Amino acid sequence: MPLSMMDVGAKFRIKTVGGNDSVRRHLGDMGFVEGAEVTIVAEMAGSLIIGIHETRVALNRELAQKILV
Amino acid sequence: MATDTTTKIALAGNPNSGKTTLFNELTGSNQYVGNWPGVTVEEKNGGLKGHRDVVVQDLPGIYSLSPYSLEEKVSRNFLVNEKPTAILNIVDGMNIERNLYLTTQLAEIGVPMVVAVNMMDLVDRAGDKIDFEKLGKRLNCKVVGISAQKGKGCCEAAEIALQYAKEGRKGEVPHVFTGSVEHAIAHIEESIQGKVPAASLRWCAIKVFERDADAIAKMGMPADVLAHVEGHIRDCEKELDDDAESIITGQRYAFIQKLVSECVVKNEKRVKGVKLSDRIDRIVTNRILAIPVFCLSLLAMYWLAVADGGPGTYFTDWANDGFLGDGWHLWGTMHKASTPKDAKEKLWYDGMDYEEATGAFEPHGANVEKWRDAYKGAYDEKKGEGAYEKDLAAFNEKNADPSEFEVLDEELAKTVKADVWLKDEESGEIRSGKVSIAGDKISVEEEDEGDDLKWTCDYPLYKASAEVGEPEASDFGVWVPGVASICGDLCTRFGIEEGTLVYALVNDGVVGGVCTVLGFVPVIAIVFLFLAFLEDCGYMARVAFIMDRLFRGFGLSGKSFIPMLVGKGCGVPAVMAARTIENVRDQRMTIILATFMPCGAKTVIITMFTACFFREYWWVAAAMDLMGVAIIVLGGIALKKTRLFAGEAAPFVMELPAYHLPTFRGIVTHTWERVKAYVWKAGMVIFPACVVLTLMMTFDWGFNVVGDDLDKSILASIGGWIGWFFAPLGFGNWQGAMATISAEIAKEQATATLAMVAGGDGSAAANVIQLFKGFVSDERLYKFSALSFLLFNLFVPPCAVAIVNTFKEMGSQKWGWFAVGFQLFVGYVLALNAFQIGSLVVTGSFGVWTAITILLDLFALWMIFRPSKKVN
Repeated sequence: MPLSMMDVGAKFRIKTVGGNDSVRRHLGDMGFVEGAEVTIVAEMAGSLIIGIHETRVALNRELAQKILV
Repeated sequence: MATDTTTKIALAGNPNSGKTTLFNELTGSNQYVGNWPGVTVEEKNGGLKGHRDVVVQDLPGIYSLSPYSLEEKVSRNFLVNEKPTAILNIVDGMNIERNLYLTTQLAEIGVPMVVAVNMMDLVDRAGDKIDFEKLGKRLNCKVVGISAQKGKGCCEAAEIALQYAKEGRKGEVPHVFTGSVEHAIAHIEESIQGKVPAASLRWCAIKVFERDADAIAKMGMPADVLAHVEGHIRDCEKELDDDAESIITGQRYAFIQKLVSECVVKNEKRVKGVKLSDRIDRIVTNRILAIPVFCLSLLAMYWLAVADGGPGTYFTDWANDGFLGDGWHLWGTMHKASTPKDAKEKLWYDGMDYEEATGAFEPHGANVEKWRDAYKGAYDEKKGEGAYEKDLAAFNEKNADPSEFEVLDEELAKTVKADVWLKDEESGEIRSGKVSIAGDKISVEEEDEGDDLKWTCDYPLYKASAEVGEPEASDFGVWVPGVASICGDLCTRFGIEEGTLVYALVNDGVVGGVCTVLGFVPVIAIVFLFLAFLEDCGYMARVAFIMDRLFRGFGLSGKSFIPMLVGKGCGVPAVMAARTIENVRDQRMTIILATFMPCGAKTVIITMFTACFFREYWWVAAAMDLMGVAIIVLGGIALKKTRLFAGEAAPFVMELPAYHLPTFRGIVTHTWERVKAYVWKAGMVIFPACVVLTLMMTFDWGFNVVGDDLDKSILASIGGWIGWFFAPLGFGNWQGAMATISAEIAKEQATATLAMVAGGDGSAAANVIQLFKGFVSDERLYKFSALSFLLFNLFVPPCAVAIVNTFKEMGSQKWGWFAVGFQLFVGYVLALNAFQIGSLVVTGSFGVWTAITILLDLFALWMIFRPSKKVN
């Protein structure tokens, strides 16, 4: 399921990260890799604030759709 | 840089891990510290305390050595290609896993490295435990704990880095990869050995494994070697069913996870609990509340800064009328006047407070002033031009007690009558009411009957009023003289007379110009204070997130809003902060749009105009900000529809710093730095500019003093040449033109220039109102002329420094001119609308320029609403 469809407060493990090479690399550099644990902190019209490795990362909806959990 | 033997220690680390704080600590500098991306966009150098020959380099924050945006490239190129002598890697102790990811990469490039785990004060408070010894062993480098904020352990860490640098001590590359990956990389190392520097062998091998085209091209790797190792990479990818790059990233994180589980004990309770920061985020970034919260915070800022009766106005009035004006009563010493015991006569204002007394004196002052003017005129008319001054001088010479004003001809005086108005100093409007005179008291009863309040002051009334002494300020408390009155006193003491150049420099240049600018310090201090709070608490990054949805609508990422918010403070860092935007196209667009956000200096113009023309509407200032946002959005839409900027915005990924209550010291430092810069600019830029303008106002082209006839001055003639450009905007005379042109030096210069060219003898506000009334043929239009002037100055290209930076950041003349041209168009059209449409509505006159305005509006609307170009 894409991350964008999940409920606020829930916790998941990342299955795959999609998107083009440079975005995927950047997400990977920030910790979005297979198996990483993420929490959904807040949601605004499909855009998400994700808790990952004790930091908060904001993603827009299109991007959140490409992260499968 | 083989010949460069300077020892360089680079500070490298994730964004917001405290690099700049550490840099300031190590070098004693004062670089701007912030928690949003873009606060450091270029490398900064400074000498290490105690070792001034050693250079410490602050770099923009990076997540990895594969750069994503422009300013990250600066860091990567520096670390990988230029190579510092040693790296001091800052790791955020509160977020150690993500931060160590970069550490594993830095360990591979073959530069001596020390890891400094920062924010240890927070780590300790949170109850986490980090085993530095073990961590260091596994990473094959020295690991120390520091707290840059508190200045703990910083110098020690730098000393170790320096020692490593001198010894050139490099640790073994840590064993990050396992199994077939390590196997493949070892194979690649074998194949490329001797073709790359031995120190960075591992780094190069990994880049080859990742098929990083950029890095491989730099190494100049022969194609046959690449073809040879390709097999190994393929095998590895097949085995792990993933692409090479993801494999490397995944294994790095796996290594770190293991490392952290061994070396770090986290406080379970803290990790499990829902953080306050997250709760705040649920409100602040709430779909419904987000935008109102943002607007309300802007409104709150302006209420504090400029609302009538707000704290900002109190301090502004004090600064203008008190500190920089005539003087003020020392706080806490103010009291009602009481007649001194040894006085012969009772004070007429006994028992009144200062305000009451000055109010009561006002009609007397008006009587005296108007009647004297009328009398002088009558005297000169009777005896010839200048006769009064001459006769008065002769009279004073003969009399032991020379008086300033003397009724030289009693008979004539009895015939002189003057029309007296009471003018409201603030609005410049004539106050209506009924005057009654009883004894030496004139009272005005407020009555709203239009502007026919006028009474006739004759000789007996004049004499009665002249006997009423002006209330002595020192009778009401400890009186501290202000700058203007001190300047006036100095002029009198040194015998500097009105009409001389020195007098003009002191009174027009310093008092009229520089003091006008300084008078706004309270306003901008509040704006800066508020911005510092928003920045420090962590809201900036959230605003970018909130704005993303809106911005994405016209093809920009919400990230572009950060430069625009930075632009609220100053346009120069704003255009520089645009480097964080991932692609060049959007970066250019951000630069063009960012300075539409009214900066601190523009806020000064807004404040002046609100005070003069729109006093009852304090929210005009906030409206100008929202208008700035609106122009950014509409301008963005229009630009995006051109072929130059078409295309999707980069996806929005941004780390949000945790909310925290900003420290008092942090906020005060930020505010102070900016206020200091503003005051400094008033001295170094505004003052010389005012001196030059004064000279241009004092002389004509033949270097003759023009006196009161300013229209003959150099300034007026230059202003006259370019006035035509501003004529359709409603301020096409030399004063308006020169105020606008001089504002390019620094935007707040507009206020100084206006104050200087307005001259006049009323309050500063009344003079400016009078000036604008002179701009228009129909008095009803002067507010539109003022609005047009305001809009023009806010939304045309920013000040010269910001324009220079725009050109620099654009990297090409063509784009620089495009930006300036676009901004000029927007500013001109807005101002044109304010004046032309205003005139149309009020007077109903429809001219050529009204038609042009409407055509330009239609063009702008077409640019905004036409269908967008298809992108191939």
